Amino acid sequence: MMRALESPATLLEPLAEPAAARGRAIVITSGKGGVGKTTTTANVGAALAAAGKRVVLVDADIGLRNLDIVLGLESRVKHHLLDVLEEKVSLDEALVRDKRSENLYLLAAAQTREKEDVVTAQMKALIEQLCERFEFVLIDCPAGIEMGFKNAVAGAHHAIVVCTPEVSAVRDADRVVGLLPSAWRPELIINRLRPQLVRKGKMLSVDDVNGILRLPLLGVIADEPGVIVATNKGEPLALDPSSETGAAYRAIAAKLAGENVAAPTVRVPANGSFFSKLGSLFGGRA
Amino acid sequence: MCEPDVEGEGPSGPGVATAGLTMLRGTSAGLEFVFAGEAFDETWAEMAARLAERPDFYRGSEATAIFEVSVPGDEALVEFLGAVDAYGISLRGIFGPEMLAGVAQRHALSYLGEPPRRAVASFERKRASRADQAALLTERARSLDADFAGARADIANRRARGEPSVPRPVFSPARPAPGEPPAAPAQPALAVLPATLYHRGTLRGGQTLTQLGSIVVVGDVNPGAELVATGDVIVFGALRGTAHAGAQGDATARVYALELAPTQLRIAALIAADDGARRVREPEVAFVADDRITIAPHARAGL
Amino acid sequence: MSGRRIVITSGKGGVGKTTTSANVGAALAKRGHRVILVDTDIGLRNLDLVLGVEKRIVFDLVEVVEGRCQVRQALIRDKRFESLSLLPAAQTREKEAVSGPQMVRVIDELAELADYVIIDCPAGIEHGFRNAIAGAREAIVVTTPEVSAIRDADRVVGKLTEAGIPLRLIVNRVRPEMVKSGDMMSVEDVCEILQAELLGAVPEDEEVIDTTNRGEPIVLDSTHRLAEIYDKIARRLAGEIVPFTNLNAPGFIGRLFTLWKAG
Repeated sequence: MMRALESPATLLEPLAEPAAARGRAIVITSGKGGVGKTTTTANVGAALAAAGKRVVLVDADIGLRNLDIVLGLESRVKHHLLDVLEEKVSLDEALVRDKRSENLYLLAAAQTREKEDVVTAQMKALIEQLCERFEFVLIDCPAGIEMGFKNAVAGAHHAIVVCTPEVSAVRDADRVVGLLPSAWRPELIINRLRPQLVRKGKMLSVDDVNGILRLPLLGVIADEPGVIVATNKGEPLALDPSSETGAAYRAIAAKLAGENVAAPTVRVPANGSFFSKLGSLFGGRA
Repeated sequence: MCEPDVEGEGPSGPGVATAGLTMLRGTSAGLEFVFAGEAFDETWAEMAARLAERPDFYRGSEATAIFEVSVPGDEALVEFLGAVDAYGISLRGIFGPEMLAGVAQRHALSYLGEPPRRAVASFERKRASRADQAALLTERARSLDADFAGARADIANRRARGEPSVPRPVFSPARPAPGEPPAAPAQPALAVLPATLYHRGTLRGGQTLTQLGSIVVVGDVNPGAELVATGDVIVFGALRGTAHAGAQGDATARVYALELAPTQLRIAALIAADDGARRVREPEVAFVADDRITIAPHARAGL
Repeated sequence: MSGRRIVITSGKGGVGKTTTSANVGAALAKRGHRVILVDTDIGLRNLDLVLGVEKRIVFDLVEVVEGRCQVRQALIRDKRFESLSLLPAAQTREKEAVSGPQMVRVIDELAELADYVIIDCPAGIEHGFRNAIAGAREAIVVTTPEVSAIRDADRVVGKLTEAGIPLRLIVNRVRPEMVKSGDMMSVEDVCEILQAELLGAVPEDEEVIDTTNRGEPIVLDSTHRLAEIYDKIARRLAGEIVPFTNLNAPGFIGRLFTLWKAG
């Protein structure tokens, strides 16, 4: 007769509690440019901060920085990531506090330098340092899969892949997922969905996209012209209570923070001329 | 012929001329020097350079030379034979047009008859008329060819040293009379046994699996991913990327998938892409029939 | 006489470089010029998808550079446009697989085969970008009228100027209605900020995404308003003086308005 073996875990003494809860470093990446990485980083960060979490946003797009613009902080940036890595200034001097929230900080990228100037090991060390001070470290990854991408990924523990419902974006996202450490389970945000076009068969559906990517779905965000306006004004939609897109980002933030939010998050502008039923977004193309 | 780049290096990759139909390849019947069409002197010069790069690679191999169209001059032939001998390659015989028989006799070589027809060779002849379709084996496939030839050199060396013999390809013992086509080679038992690569998980765009042998993927193969196998390719999932079965020239290789929706399919030296109008509803298999890649439902294709 | 070598770049990703490359190339081919498109986005190739030829790729740019095939073997002839061909990028390699001098040699060779060599540049300003501009003699900078895009385009304009490459601007995805309401910069504003000459302004159109998904460049439909705009761009490239389309005309605004009625 076989005796059930006791699982080893039950025989061990419980481990001591870790000294302090360390922050999570999440890289927001996509492969394809222009799908909404920076907007997502800013908005998820702002939403997390609004919910009381201590958040730092790191712009890893050296030479093509944009995170500061999206947050409306460009005039407050005095020092940047490379200054810190090269020890010209301390981390505290470089971190820019957000205009609106005392929980949100930005570490901007350098504008006049190159991505190859960043040493991967230093980047990792910096992110580790940030994880000791913040609950969430969101790293805005540059487009592509070159050195900039590798450095942005280097310090992170987790990834969010942003993808739009377009064939090229899906291909690039797939490539990126293949390059991330295989132990990670990256989550997906589908951005700029247009339910009307999906219904007409002129745009990929959520199923089309995730049928290839096969990632846990963190959220789906419908396209909205307000996003451009918000970017130009430097005011993240996540802080606008009347914005549907903002609500979607807030729900994503809640999920990341571990709250039990019904998945996936889909918000469709509640107006008669847009199709508002959830089901239609998941249908195949006509 | 590929132009060398400015530094003076020739095309990379082991032992294979990449222009036209001239090539050096390993097959189940041994090493083959294939000369097609172009002036012998030029193409031999390039092949000689290839051999010189890795002088011991082919030592101990048996080879045949195939002259598809033209017959080399005596002087050039002597040089060729000398070089082949110097590299430790033993020339079993030569194929070529009838007029080659006399030449062969003068050099104490066996004339084996007209160049043999094989799936790969016959397809290449058709390639000339399908100018818009590239039919060359992929670089990976060609390098696998050469690896195979090298492995056989190893075996020969071992035997020469009196080590325990390992299974090796059996050649047809009787040389066919001049003018008759050669007998089909006996079933090869390969010394470097091809293994089957088993991969569990989805292959993402940009990832490749290459294998001497067959490949099994349990998961999807996404667009942009590549599978290259000398044997079969089996995907227990959706094949949406590119698959190359029989990459070394085996036209009996097959591609199986639960959902066969590849960007491109290759079997041996054939390449095909479907027009996208097919609705895939069941497990299917792709194979070569009548020199074309054909797809049929697995249930009805017969193993 | 060897062909012109034009790189299409932007800095910011997603502003429409690849779509522009495909459509400008096709528009030039429609006018009878011999055009070769080159995808230099190694590892993240997309030009083949946008042109709908992804299933016909046998060799790619990296294999050409490594001498494993001749350039002619790698070129894919478009079946719809007589004089249009594509040299695809590799998907399973990295951008470091090609060096600047190697790229120059390939572009030189292509320039002997075509009137226009159009080089589609990857996003960013890293190795891939440097390779793409290495073989170019002229540049088209694509931007959208949006702060981040303009900022990145500015960086790129700087780099092109350093490299001595003359450039012109295409302002893409313009929404005349938003320009009118002050929510978007005008085309003139963009040119002024970037201090660059305008080659063309392309309005936003919801159908473009679908055409790139299906691999059928929008210029295939000669009745489409965008086809006319790309045609004008092609004519300007060829040296003609062509007046710019008035994007404020009712046809444009009316269409866009229905899209955003709910917005």
